[in-house]
Amino acid sequence: MRRWLLRRALQSLVTLAVALVLLFLLMHVLPGDPLSRLGEGRPLTPEQVQALRDRYDLNRPLLAQLGSFLGGLARGDLGVSIEYARPVTGLLAERLPATLLLGGVVLLLNFTVGLWLGVRQAVRRGSAEDRWLTTLSLAGYATPSFWLGLVLAWLVGVKWRLLPPAGMRDPLLEGGTLTAMADIARHLVLPVLTLSAVSIAGTMRYQRAALIETLRLPYILTARAKGLTDRRVLWHGWRNALFPVLTLFGLWLPILVTGSVFVESVFAWPGLGSLAATAVGNRDYPLLMGAATLVAGIVVLASFLTDVAYGLLDPRVRLS
Amino acid sequence: MIADLLRAAWRTPGGRAGLVFLVFLVLLALLGPLVLPDPFQQFDLVELQSAPPSGPHPFGTDQLSRDVLSRVVNGARVSLAVAGIAVALSVTLGAVVGLVAGYLGGGVDAVLMRLVDGAMAVPRLFLLLVVLAVASRVPLAVLIVLIGTTGWFATSRLIRAEALRLREETYVRAAEALGASRRRIIFRHLLVNTAGPLLVAATLGVGDVILLEAGLSFLGLGVQPPTPSWGGMILDARPVLESAPWVGIFPGVMITLTVLATNLVGDALRDALDPRGA
Amino acid sequence: MTHSTPRTAASPVPRPRLAAALTALALLAPAIGLAQSPGARSSIVIATGGEATVPVPTLMEGPHATPANTDVADQLFARLAQLGPTLITTGDRGFEPLLARSWTRRDSVTLAFDLDPRATWHDGMPVTAADVAFTFGRALNPAIAPRLARLLRRIASVTAEGERRVVFRFTEAYPEQLYDAVFHVAPLPKHLLDSIPADSLETAAFAQAPVGSGPYRWVRRVPGEFVELAANPRFFLGAPAVQRLIFRLAVDPEARLNLLLGGEVDATENIPAPISNIARVAADKDLRIVTVPSPTLGFLLFNQRDRRNRDRPHPILSDPDVRRAIGLGLDRRRMVRAVFGSASEVPFGPASPILWIRHGTPAPAGINLREAQRLLAARGWIDHDGDGVRDRGGQPLVLSLSAPTTSAIRKLMVQMVKEQLRALGIQIDVELMEFPVYIERRTAGDFDIDFASTLQDPSPTGLSQGWSCDGGTNFARYCDPAVDSLLTIAARATEGAGEAWHAVLRRIEDDAPAVFLYAPSYLYAVHRRFTNVRIRPESAWISLREWTLGGPGAHRPTGD
Repeated sequence: MRRWLLRRALQSLVTLAVALVLLFLLMHVLPGDPLSRLGEGRPLTPEQVQALRDRYDLNRPLLAQLGSFLGGLARGDLGVSIEYARPVTGLLAERLPATLLLGGVVLLLNFTVGLWLGVRQAVRRGSAEDRWLTTLSLAGYATPSFWLGLVLAWLVGVKWRLLPPAGMRDPLLEGGTLTAMADIARHLVLPVLTLSAVSIAGTMRYQRAALIETLRLPYILTARAKGLTDRRVLWHGWRNALFPVLTLFGLWLPILVTGSVFVESVFAWPGLGSLAATAVGNRDYPLLMGAATLVAGIVVLASFLTDVAYGLLDPRVRLS
Repeated sequence: MIADLLRAAWRTPGGRAGLVFLVFLVLLALLGPLVLPDPFQQFDLVELQSAPPSGPHPFGTDQLSRDVLSRVVNGARVSLAVAGIAVALSVTLGAVVGLVAGYLGGGVDAVLMRLVDGAMAVPRLFLLLVVLAVASRVPLAVLIVLIGTTGWFATSRLIRAEALRLREETYVRAAEALGASRRRIIFRHLLVNTAGPLLVAATLGVGDVILLEAGLSFLGLGVQPPTPSWGGMILDARPVLESAPWVGIFPGVMITLTVLATNLVGDALRDALDPRGA
Repeated sequence: MTHSTPRTAASPVPRPRLAAALTALALLAPAIGLAQSPGARSSIVIATGGEATVPVPTLMEGPHATPANTDVADQLFARLAQLGPTLITTGDRGFEPLLARSWTRRDSVTLAFDLDPRATWHDGMPVTAADVAFTFGRALNPAIAPRLARLLRRIASVTAEGERRVVFRFTEAYPEQLYDAVFHVAPLPKHLLDSIPADSLETAAFAQAPVGSGPYRWVRRVPGEFVELAANPRFFLGAPAVQRLIFRLAVDPEARLNLLLGGEVDATENIPAPISNIARVAADKDLRIVTVPSPTLGFLLFNQRDRRNRDRPHPILSDPDVRRAIGLGLDRRRMVRAVFGSASEVPFGPASPILWIRHGTPAPAGINLREAQRLLAARGWIDHDGDGVRDRGGQPLVLSLSAPTTSAIRKLMVQMVKEQLRALGIQIDVELMEFPVYIERRTAGDFDIDFASTLQDPSPTGLSQGWSCDGGTNFARYCDPAVDSLLTIAARATEGAGEAWHAVLRRIEDDAPAVFLYAPSYLYAVHRRFTNVRIRPESAWISLREWTLGGPGAHRPTGD
């Protein structure tokens, strides 16, 4: 067991290293260095650009740059943001909680409402409801998240004034923790709805497929033959079908992260996604690189954790 | 095999709807521009700036008094071309890497799959962002190549699994015994038999690329104006969402319908390949 | 297969109540009564597109020279004096005292300032002459602040004479000495910065919580959300009535507008294009629109030199009559109205609304197609082959027009220019390019017509950079001895400077080295409960300390 864990951890580290080298090379794949677009809209003299180049090591050979990037990373140093003049790690740490909150609530919603809808579909497979739910969830997936966000922000936030159209909290609000939480909850609704609408299709379809598969297994048929109630049979089936679905957690994470770039921008949500979008706009390459590094780390970590969970629950996995 | 799959997909309501829409869309993209006005032409900057839908301009006009219908149709051309070429590229790459890794196995497989794992750890959007945000100027062809080369990782995993299975099949064993070269086995025997999964991957891939291009356009990194693409049109329409909704609604609806159609067809194809989930 | 699934199986599945309950809870939240603090009415929340990073004088260089930094720094740090309402930058009068109570001229190259003895830093220490000298020691050092050092290159020395008097010496006599001494940089607290090396100030704690001498003091920054400042009750010119000042970040222009129209913020910088947004803001009865002159000037710059061989004159555009014809062929008023709305103007010569010299200039020429056609025909440009494009000696009248893809306004206008000149028989090939490519081509003179847009300083002396023979930004290599001598006269004129500058503008307008397209006004939106609202062109919110709270309305409408 321990050896298996160790090997799996080592694999994850290799994966992460490959991802980082790839990111680094991508940043240099096209002509023009990361600072060539920095002058947009800013009064920068050629001397200042040169000074920035020196400061960000861009005058050194590519391999040396890669070395210092990885070396810095090992020390937890991702460089200094051009725009913010502060260490990238600090900026990322400031913005991470907001994204975790948004992503966490969306995941929760996907795993409750999404699973429930998936079960419903599996049970009524082939019915009109099944088909409609499939089409609707797919339509959500097929809609650009920023487009849906823009429409919701305008309709609910501006036209009806039901909920705040942007931001995470009211800066003038005073009161206890409860008030502050209620305020954040209010601001969460629209971004969560948007992100869930475009991502819930995944959970629903996996749940549906997994449950259909399970309900066909011999032991379920046996159980049914033995006269167990439908309710009990479904419960057994669902518990087993849930298993493969949960392990897909790692797979949905990239979708959520990608969606958050757009949804956070549209709703001015102070998380990693809007920070990354700002970094793109400002050509702040250390910050963008740092955000991509963090995202890669989170994805690798999540897939490691699901693997571990899977391994703990199902000993067969460890053998393969 | 592909014809069989398509026939099977046609028999499901979702697959049929999707196929009908996609065929309609391709015809529209091919023939529409022949009868519609020039998508770059401006009619009257003051009188017809963001004019609502009317007889001569059924979808209205945009901020530059250009015909929205014509831009949506020409945008279909651009968006489909971008998606089509990029997906062709990524499916090819995915097939080659997957087949090579799966058939050869061993060290080659291990190295290739570690690389693919690493690439899959970074969401595709971020891979593209780090390239596009720092590049000075990205011509359309380069953009397509970038989108294509960042989209094959999952496909290669899928095809590798297929190849692992197929190489144990009798006919492959037989071909090996007859002394067929590795290249011949990979491209003659394995490729043909993975055509089904590849078709599914390609169909779903087209939808993904259309969404991706829209997202890149939203960040100002997609197809550059004045070339009409759906994503670019939504970006142009953002500021007039409330005052001239027609400018953005039509390209937005086209994106949703097209991606929906590709997913319906993709699902139907997948179910036809593996009927257990249906 | 389907019927193997029991029909009744739907019963174990929870009903959609959960989703409904969640939604209801979320929608009810506003009604639960999230009461705002009693001070909300006397607070202002301003939506901004950028986040203040290092709002400290001498640090706002390079990537940090952003409006967001300036906006916050201008509240935290008071200048020695500020521009008067006329925005006149020359002479020693017309400025309003701030940290400096008064100033006296000792000779043509020496100015002495007396500091207001009541002025203190936010930590209670007095503002002294040593602080001013210390600040300029950093600002004049090109290694620390290259941008400031270049702007202030004619300041020879800044020395303290005692506690309250500071003396500026200049390298030469010129009318804008006072402007240079007070406008570009505000004093820093020496006693807090002495111990911090200049090159590590950017990362020091001070840069994250600056201590200044201005009407507002630093409270906190919530990353990615807002920066909060509070009124400085001890501000020596009187405590501001607006008690709290919050710059709330929304990078996206539509998100800013949504916050404003959704009642979540009280004010926003320049209402984003297109003009239909102006009507949306105007329709909100809680908001008022304030028109402010902008420092922006947009123009079509004609290359005087052949783009392929810079030693030769431009084959088409070196002819002033062709340049004039292009200007007459464009309906500039209509274009400005379509893009900016009715509050913006067509400039006369290269003068943005922020330049004081634009007052009293004549109206620029309107569209005159007949005259444009006559000028072109007289110079031999006639459509001989009937293809819709004029030609002369086998050469068609085709010009390229370059603009960067980053500017939405220029992208819009480029299309308008192209269509209008087509009617005149001039073919325009639009070249939209990425910003660095655009800048590179422009600097190298590789263009026919360059769609330029500049942000002008309040000082008209900047004009010589673009329009004199050896000007630093004269990329078109425009050279007219008459313009040069008029510029020299105007820059030295202490009396009648306005008239001298008008002569410059008239000559440039007449010789048409460029067609000056737009000089927009910016439209700001502010909640009506604020009164005595003044928004300044050189720094929008700098007069906030004088705003009052006399208007109607709670902080924001609730329960509607």
